Parts: sequence; C-alpha cells; structure tokens
Amino acid sequence: MSDPVVLELREQFATVEQQRRTAGIGIWLFLMTEVMMFGGLFVAYTVYRFSHPQAFAEGSSHMDIVLGSINSAILLTSSLTMGLAEFSAKLGRQRLLSALLAITILIGLAFLGIKFTEYYEHFQQHEAPGVWFNHAGPHAPEVQMFFVFYFLMTGLHALHMSIGILLLLGLMGRNLIGSFSVVYHTPVSVVGLYWHFVDIVWIFLYAIFYLPGLHK
Amino acid sequence: MSGPTWKTYLFTYFGLLALLLANTLIAFVDLGWFSTAIEIGVATVMACLVAGILMHGLYEAKIIQIIIAGGVIWFLIMMSLTIGDYYTRGWLAFHHP
Repeated sequence: MSDPVVLELREQFATVEQQRRTAGIGIWLFLMTEVMMFGGLFVAYTVYRFSHPQAFAEGSSHMDIVLGSINSAILLTSSLTMGLAEFSAKLGRQRLLSALLAITILIGLAFLGIKFTEYYEHFQQHEAPGVWFNHAGPHAPEVQMFFVFYFLMTGLHALHMSIGILLLLGLMGRNLIGSFSVVYHTPVSVVGLYWHFVDIVWIFLYAIFYLPGLHK
Repeated sequence: MSGPTWKTYLFTYFGLLALLLANTLIAFVDLGWFSTAIEIGVATVMACLVAGILMHGLYEAKIIQIIIAGGVIWFLIMMSLTIGDYYTRGWLAFHHP
C-alpha cells in the first residue's frame, strides 16, 4: 500500500511540515481579506449608527433576543465540536472525527434554521427592507436602514455558514475514504479556521444588532 | 505537538458561554454610550479567545501572528480614518446620544 505521507506531499514542498505551514499562512491571509470585507460593513454600520442612534436602537428592539442568544450559544458549541474534530484528526481518531464533523454540520444547520425563522418573522412584521417595509414613527427611513444592514450582514454571514457546511460535508467524504491520518489532516485544520472565523463574525453581529435594543 | 489540549478547548467554550451571558444581561442596563463600549468590549474579548485558543493564534508561528496583527491593525486604520473623517465634518450625532 502507498504511504499516506508520500501520497499527500505535493511536489512543490520539501516536507509535510512545510506544506502544512504554507496552508496555514494561506488560510490566515484569506481570513484577513474576510476581515476587510466584513470590516467595511461594520464601519458603514458604525457611521450610520452614530448618525441615527435613536433609530438604530428602535430597529434593534425589534430583534428576537431569545432566538439570537440561543443561536449565539449554538454557534459557540459548533466551534467547540469543530475544535474537538481537529483534535481527533491530530490523534488519528477517524471515526470520532466523522462523528464530530457530523455534529458540527447538524449544529450549523440548526443555526441556519433559527436564522431563517427570524427572517420569516421579520418579513411577517413588514421589517424586511424594500417594498415590504412598513414602519410607523418619525424614524422610519433610518429604521429601514438598520434592517438593510441587518439583512445584508447576517445574510452574508449565513452564506459563509452555508459554504462552511458544504466544506464540512467535503471533509466528511474525504475522511470516509481514508484521506486523513495522524501525519496529514491539514484540510481539517484549514476548514476549522474558516469555521471559527465565521463564529467570530457572529459574535460581533450579535453585539451590534441584538444587544442595543435591550436598553432602549 | 504543541497546541491547546481538549481541556483548554472545554474551558474556553464555557468561558465564551459565560461572557455571552454576561454581555446579554449587562445589555439590559442602560448606561448610554458606555453600554455600546461594554458590548463591543466583551465581544472583542470573546473574539480574542476564539482566535487565540480555538484558532491556535497564540500557538502559531511568528509569521502567522504577524499576518493576524497586520489584518487587525489595517482594519483599525480603515475604521479610525473613516470615522475620523465623518466626525470632523460634523456628520455624526456624537453630541446627542
């Protein structure tokens, strides 16, 4: 049988360690471009919030804090299971890795389910921006702007989650055909970094969209 | 192999949940703009825990730590220059929180 180390070492690398480190630098550079993308949106949100503090507090008071908090806890839990999945990959525990990846996928799907339930509620209450929007009060246009940011930023986050779930499914498939070993499990670490990063984005989204409405 | 143990992962996870709960409960008290500072501050601590331990940022090679620092500092430059620009034009409502 072919040696997994020789099998997975690409020709441009001298050692598995060099290959692993290069992948690490690559994914971190990618994540920093993600910081710039989400960062631009966070800056835009900050400018609008400083310009219209009352309207943004009013918009935030329409958030479902229970669902939002549950979703935050759910996502943190998925980061734990993903972290443990990376740990089991390092130890070469393939069945445990598959189980933890499956749990992470299920938790990710639960997050998206709750998120879309919230979106549905916002549509029902005419809080989705555009022709559906209907808000009484002096700050209606600014409250609509709050919801533009809310749907854009949480939507972009949900897109990242969906891509993450597809990547996790890919990892599960590769694990089932025996692609990973104690020596080679770089893809698990790389997808794990992406997954944790998406978690970080949510931590800030929760703080800026859900919490300001609580002390309105 | 250096890196966090599964116990470190568990402690970090419970720490994150505790911070999430604390951030949510503190948000019920109205402290004006200070509330926003606390919300973002606690979220930043949580993000540092995820990046430092779950993402192994603390255990990584110097080159990766430089990339992380570069990304974060560049973001802060973008943020402070943009908000500084809006602020000095008097377009932001800092005066009536």
